[in-house]
Amino acid sequence: MIKKKKISKSANERNPFFLKFNFKEKSIVLLLFSSASIAIVVSIAIIYTLLEGSYSFFTDPAVNFFDFIFGTRWIPSGNNPSFGILPLLSGTILIAGGALLIGAPIGIGSALYLSQFASKRIRSIVKPIIEVLAGIPSIVYGFFALIIISPIFRDLFGASYFNAASAIVVMSIMVLPIIVSISDDSMKAVPNHLKESSLALGATKWETSTKVVMPAASSGIIASILLGLARALGETMVVTLAAGSVANLTFNPLNEVQTMTAYIAQVATGDIPPGVAVSAAFAVGLVLFLITYAINTIASKVVIRIKSGSKSKIKKRKRDKKIIYNFILIFNKVLTSLFKKFLSTIKIRKKLTLEIRYRKQRRGKIIVSLCLIFAIIFLIYLLTNIITKGIDGLSIQFLTSFPSYKPDLAGIFPVLIGSIYLMLLTMLFAAPLGVGAAIYLNEFARDSRYTRFLRRIIQNLAGVPSIVFGLMGLTIFVRVLNFGPSLLSGSLILTIMVLPIVVVATEEALKSIPKSFRDGALGIGSTRWQTVRHHVLPNATPGIMTGIILSLSRAIGETAPILFIGAVFAKTIPSSIFDGFLALPLTIFYWTRHPKLEFQTLAASTIIIVLLILFIMNITAIIIRQRAQSRRNW
Amino acid sequence: MSDELKKQNNEFIKMKNVNVYYSNNQAIKNVSMDIKEKSVTAFIGPSGCGKSTLLRCFNRMNDEIVGCRTEGSIIWNNVDILNKNIDPVPLRRKVGMVFQKPNPFPKSVYDNIAYGPRIQGIREEDKLDIIVEKSLKDSALWKEVGDRLDSSAMDLSGGQQQRLCIARTLAIEPEVILMDEPCSALDPIATGKIEDLIDQLKKKYTVIIVTHNMQQAARVSKYTGFFYLGELVEYGKTKQIFENPQEELTENYMTGRFG
Repeated sequence: MIKKKKISKSANERNPFFLKFNFKEKSIVLLLFSSASIAIVVSIAIIYTLLEGSYSFFTDPAVNFFDFIFGTRWIPSGNNPSFGILPLLSGTILIAGGALLIGAPIGIGSALYLSQFASKRIRSIVKPIIEVLAGIPSIVYGFFALIIISPIFRDLFGASYFNAASAIVVMSIMVLPIIVSISDDSMKAVPNHLKESSLALGATKWETSTKVVMPAASSGIIASILLGLARALGETMVVTLAAGSVANLTFNPLNEVQTMTAYIAQVATGDIPPGVAVSAAFAVGLVLFLITYAINTIASKVVIRIKSGSKSKIKKRKRDKKIIYNFILIFNKVLTSLFKKFLSTIKIRKKLTLEIRYRKQRRGKIIVSLCLIFAIIFLIYLLTNIITKGIDGLSIQFLTSFPSYKPDLAGIFPVLIGSIYLMLLTMLFAAPLGVGAAIYLNEFARDSRYTRFLRRIIQNLAGVPSIVFGLMGLTIFVRVLNFGPSLLSGSLILTIMVLPIVVVATEEALKSIPKSFRDGALGIGSTRWQTVRHHVLPNATPGIMTGIILSLSRAIGETAPILFIGAVFAKTIPSSIFDGFLALPLTIFYWTRHPKLEFQTLAASTIIIVLLILFIMNITAIIIRQRAQSRRNW
Repeated sequence: MSDELKKQNNEFIKMKNVNVYYSNNQAIKNVSMDIKEKSVTAFIGPSGCGKSTLLRCFNRMNDEIVGCRTEGSIIWNNVDILNKNIDPVPLRRKVGMVFQKPNPFPKSVYDNIAYGPRIQGIREEDKLDIIVEKSLKDSALWKEVGDRLDSSAMDLSGGQQQRLCIARTLAIEPEVILMDEPCSALDPIATGKIEDLIDQLKKKYTVIIVTHNMQQAARVSKYTGFFYLGELVEYGKTKQIFENPQEELTENYMTGRFG
């Protein structure tokens, strides 16, 4: 400290404000910069993994590139393997498309009701319910699809044991939260003066909502559908559990089908003999990655278009945007013409009296509110079913004993410990990296090409299907870095998966700190880091903590990415980070598929434990948020 | 002391051909002016005329705005503070700033004032106590908050908060104090107190104030610059600008023919 002062004094004599090299500040910025740039390393690792695996697949003598694209049979094992991806594609399209066909209208209807008709009180009740739907781990939906929905289709329509229909129904609920929240946001963002001018012309509220608000928000609604589609395409657990593992080229939802993600999961769980069939998973992963990447890119461009308005700042992007805009226009036209045809099939009276218009409004309101009620009933049905199924299996012995082949002796003690270790390690890695990256992006980064690139990379990472992270972890952490199928590898994979969530949540928290605090500190001669360290971070801490907790709650329920490395059975709890591990969602997965029916009860009991943990984490986050809000005096 | 007296009212800060751009818009057009030492200089003009932008050049706060570019030179102490070799951090310790809206940190009154000295490495409690008391007395706030230094700065009234921000600036012992419409968020009584305070400050500091309120400029300043669309239309003694403006634009503005 004293030394520093002396140097500055000698410099003072010549020039009091001479720009000195501030080592501490520079190294901190470098550190933050590197944690933001990790996203690029991760992306390269993902692409390397997929390309390397695909290369060894396509160079195999048993594989023909032409057959891969146009082949109609996907039989990976056996004497005469055949790798034609069309059955996997058709299965994926059947399930994702079916889920959207049900989920999109319900989601948009719910959003319309929420944004235009719901009172503040209803919003405050319904919004958390939608969040709960989003927070339930996909393994729970998978259990629900196979154990509870699938029998209904079997009994009523004679569907096969594994069938696409049950996956479609459950997945249509899984895409709801995305569609509802984004459509709701975009419909609420429609400027008031548009609505008012429609009302002032004597339109009813229903007419205003459907003819003015919805078209004005159409790009947001389309983006929400696209993002929902990307989510459905990348979903693994529901399709693996409920839709089956035979790749049939069929569009009959009562049949058994296999999706791209389900095939990768099948490889991960060791049901596929090693060799070319395993490297086929990488080729399938590459196709999946490219499709979801394309959809996410289009969706994000549509969202950017909403945010920046019609005036484009950068000329280069103009042409780019025009294509997308035309795409939206065509999409819109198709939708509206379909909608009109649908309407014309319903009898329309020629004279539109006020009475009829009001009746229309009443009916419309009932329909869109039914959409919401459907989602709520589904949630209640899901929870009550799982609780009644699993409550009997809960006991102290269940929590303290080890897994066993005898269902009445089996417990989840090492599983619980494994998941807790996994979570703690993930927090250890993800919190500093994610917070550092967010600080860099929000406080230090200039609006340069590199910064925009970084932001896009992070956004893209958030859209990568979780099973692809599993493939990447298998190649990079387990094989290249030689960490083995260990706690370390598992937590690193989960870290990468939750990193974008931590970054986004932290940035949100940082943005909520008023600029005047930063101005005040800079105005009396703080460096940028001092400003952040003393004024921004302390006030943003509750928001950052909430974000970290919520992203961890995402990590604890995630199954697909650690499917490759999690253990099936263990006699001891892990004693170092290089040991293998059991995890709650993995155990649910194996028990749900167990031939002995008693294990289904155990799976349900484990689900209750997972939901309980999630509940506690979420409550903690809410308490932190509310306490911070009540204490906040600015 | 005599040395300082000699310097008084001499040209102190020399601004030459300053241009400021926000991406493609030019906010300041070729402004040259000299700021006199230990006096109050007011910048007036209709909103959007660039007076705040120009003020923020003196402590390089424009560096914080994305896409903002500055040309020209501001010579102070034989140094061009717009030069790239100038570190804005030590510069801002010599050129303090008070913002439009009171922006105390969400900390105690004491910590607000002690923050500046602390980041400069002053850790001794007794030294800090002295600085805090002196700054509060200099900003005419000691009588009101001297007995509750540990209470949150957010509990003070708007006028008190703004004087606290001035005290916070005084604590780092600047030579120049920039004020960006310091009274625009305050009621008339609080405004009066701030104006009295500015009157006291000019004995020790060079004050540059941006104001929307012409009466305020007339009350507190010795020199006034009138800006219009990024250009310095007229600059001189306040009395002259108000009573006998040389330019028609200035006269129109003074008489309220546009605004």
